Amino acid sequence: MKDSQPLNSSTKNNPTYVDENSQSYDESDIVPSLEHTLDNFKDCIDLTHRTFPHINVNLVYFDHLIGSDELARDVIIPLSQVREYEVQSLLKRSQYQLATDSKTVIKGILNGDVAIFYKDLTYLISIYKPESRSIQQSETETVITGPHDSFIEVAMSNLSLIRRRLKSSHLKVLKLQVGEVAKSDVYILYIDGIANMDYVQQLVKRIELIEVDAIHDGNMLIQYIDDFPNSIFPLFSTTERTDSAISKLVAGRILGILDGSPSVFSAPASFFEFFASPDDYYQRWAIGTATRVLRFIALFITLSFTALYVSVTTFHYEMIPEALLLTITESRSRVPFPPIYEALLMEVTIELLREAGARLPTKIGQTIGIVGGIVIGQAAVQAGLTSNILIIAVASSAIASFVIPSYVMSASIRLIRFSLIILAGTLGDLGIAMGTAYIIIHLSGLTSLNSSYITPVAPNNFDDWRDVFIRAPFWALRNRPSQSKTPNVIKNKMKK
Amino acid sequence: MREKLHPFHITLLVFMIQQGVVVFSLPRLLALHMGYNGWIALFAYWGITTLNIMLISIVYRLCDGQSIFHIIEQSLPKIVVIPLYSFMILVWTLIGCMAAKQYVIIYQVFVFPTTHPMFMKFVVDVLAFILVIKGIYNISKAVTSFFWLVIWTVLLLLFFIKGFNWVDLTPFFFHEASEPLIGSLNIYTAFLGYELVLLLFPYSEKGKRFMKAVHIGNLFTALTYIAIAFICFGFYSFNQLKRMKYPVIDLLAYIELPFVERIENLIFGIYIFTALIGVVMYCWAAIETTQRIIPKAHSNWLSAIIIATAFAISWIPKVLSEVEKWLQYLGYMEIGIAWGLPLILIFILLFKKRRDESCIERSES
Repeated sequence: MKDSQPLNSSTKNNPTYVDENSQSYDESDIVPSLEHTLDNFKDCIDLTHRTFPHINVNLVYFDHLIGSDELARDVIIPLSQVREYEVQSLLKRSQYQLATDSKTVIKGILNGDVAIFYKDLTYLISIYKPESRSIQQSETETVITGPHDSFIEVAMSNLSLIRRRLKSSHLKVLKLQVGEVAKSDVYILYIDGIANMDYVQQLVKRIELIEVDAIHDGNMLIQYIDDFPNSIFPLFSTTERTDSAISKLVAGRILGILDGSPSVFSAPASFFEFFASPDDYYQRWAIGTATRVLRFIALFITLSFTALYVSVTTFHYEMIPEALLLTITESRSRVPFPPIYEALLMEVTIELLREAGARLPTKIGQTIGIVGGIVIGQAAVQAGLTSNILIIAVASSAIASFVIPSYVMSASIRLIRFSLIILAGTLGDLGIAMGTAYIIIHLSGLTSLNSSYITPVAPNNFDDWRDVFIRAPFWALRNRPSQSKTPNVIKNKMKK
Repeated sequence: MREKLHPFHITLLVFMIQQGVVVFSLPRLLALHMGYNGWIALFAYWGITTLNIMLISIVYRLCDGQSIFHIIEQSLPKIVVIPLYSFMILVWTLIGCMAAKQYVIIYQVFVFPTTHPMFMKFVVDVLAFILVIKGIYNISKAVTSFFWLVIWTVLLLLFFIKGFNWVDLTPFFFHEASEPLIGSLNIYTAFLGYELVLLLFPYSEKGKRFMKAVHIGNLFTALTYIAIAFICFGFYSFNQLKRMKYPVIDLLAYIELPFVERIENLIFGIYIFTALIGVVMYCWAAIETTQRIIPKAHSNWLSAIIIATAFAISWIPKVLSEVEKWLQYLGYMEIGIAWGLPLILIFILLFKKRRDESCIERSES
């Protein structure tokens, strides 16, 4: 466990780290006492110190981290009903854990335990129950059919959501900690016998090596542990959906839950995995397949539509059929800029609208989106700043980008689109081809937990194609994905 | 453990190295040097290249998947090895740089007459450098993706079924062929690329499937060439074909869709993927060989130096005809390597085998 490791010199010397770290490390040799504990939490006004003078018992805890009912039931009422000579026998019950060092006591209080000081003995009882939002529908990964519950910020609730659906003793959970200051819990989940243990070890090792003040979200955590932190593409997949997380576990992937984040990450991940949605499996296979194909078409549209417009109107007018040429020429006739400026102007506007819409409350956000889109679009055409055809191209590629189920992947692709537009404005179709070549070269070099990021294309596995580029009928989906390198390949023994 | 190349990826790698810019002028070369129904000659080329690959198979079997450099260095003195390697490095580097230059000049002629070709060449070389430093395993992964982005273009041939005229094929065979000897060598260069598998022995999964994959890759190339040439011979008249510089590019110009037409530039742009793989693989071969001469050299620096040298050399030929002349002579040298290297290796391996056997016999007696 991370806690048992000594802090390195850089951490100790770093003034930004709170003194408590080095202090709490030394605490392991100190016998716990009330005075010492109160001294540690000096100036923490949210700490509660309660005394039972008649039995000589002191309680120390954070009121906001524990459940008040549990406190009354397991601590207050039993302690109120006993006499001093009965306290010792009461505290021998299994829920009260004797703490032998000060570090454990401090850590316990911070983790939502109640510290009970009786004479020179200290006991801890865990009644951790912080306030949290209820389980709700995910706003970033909505589905039409299928389960609607999603993860929340409390890791225990998330674990409960998974355990409820995966009733197997083979589902193993490891606990780690990240953040030298925040000390957030990270739970690594895998199914014993299905997951490849090499991946589990690699993941644990990478998390153990993290040395940073605090990590606030699963999407942030994965940037510390993925194989290529400089890449624009997300190398681990994240989800807020329970069903999606479970499907990944069953596929032989490893899951990570960070306490305080509703985003659960899974690894190893493939580039094509980001184009699948749980919806695909809840619909008939033909619809699932059509939707998946549509998403890959959306990828093509997002990346290339505006770039092709720029390329064609700058260098390759010959590609436009005669009937369409008149419309495009007429549309562009009032625009005084080269197509690349025109396209970049509109793309930046669309991004501004998207960002504004995302930051504002839902109702205002929608209004901004619709009004801004129509007004700016219409006005830009009328003012002669842009052509109608470009508005169509930009709008199509913006809509297509939102078809990609993973918001993180969609954002990466939207950014790449800008470089393709610039290349198209510089070298035409050749620029687009060169940009595409670069993207492919970059993708080819990427790995997720040391497994190829573009699997099942390379290394090629046609079996996997049935659940990547299409959603074949369930009888045809027999094997777990090859990327999981699972020791147990068969996932479906049913025949047609 | 280092990952090995799967036979499927070997097939695609061979196919993609062989495919190059020459495919766009192949029907003209066939018409010019093989005469009427010259496309049939491609079957013979397939047969000859298959024989060459069989020679490589013998090397593979005799050396049991060892690196050919290892075999050469064990058996030949350094005074022979270094000039041999230097020759190979020179030829492979120059083929890489000239292939890129040819592609770039053709594109420049068609689309960017005012742009300096070396600007585009620089971008291509940067891409080649980025790919080559990733190593052969990642190159093969990129090749697989590029393959899927390119192979669909073969389906465009279906557009010409309507315009295909059986009469244009004529009942004559190889009539009116000019310079058949030189011409046949020029056509043979379209198939070159398979010989680089000699360097892939230590990187591939051991077994018979490796060489089978090479044969399939070569067959796939031959079938693609045959399909393209056949369509061109049936679409254009013989004399028309002889006069067209790049008949396949012109062929693509006939395609008309409701939203787009004259897609030849777009398709030619897509063919940068195959051109790039050719450049990358020849540069990779040159880098691998250079590393045998300077084993301590950092591979990234070596790649940078070789590609920069190639870039500098590519300033010399200014126009397309000069580049094609360079490629023609380099092609002849590469044919020499494709046939000569396996023969030398077979000779070395048999000699070594015999020597080992006699050593065993002597020790037993």
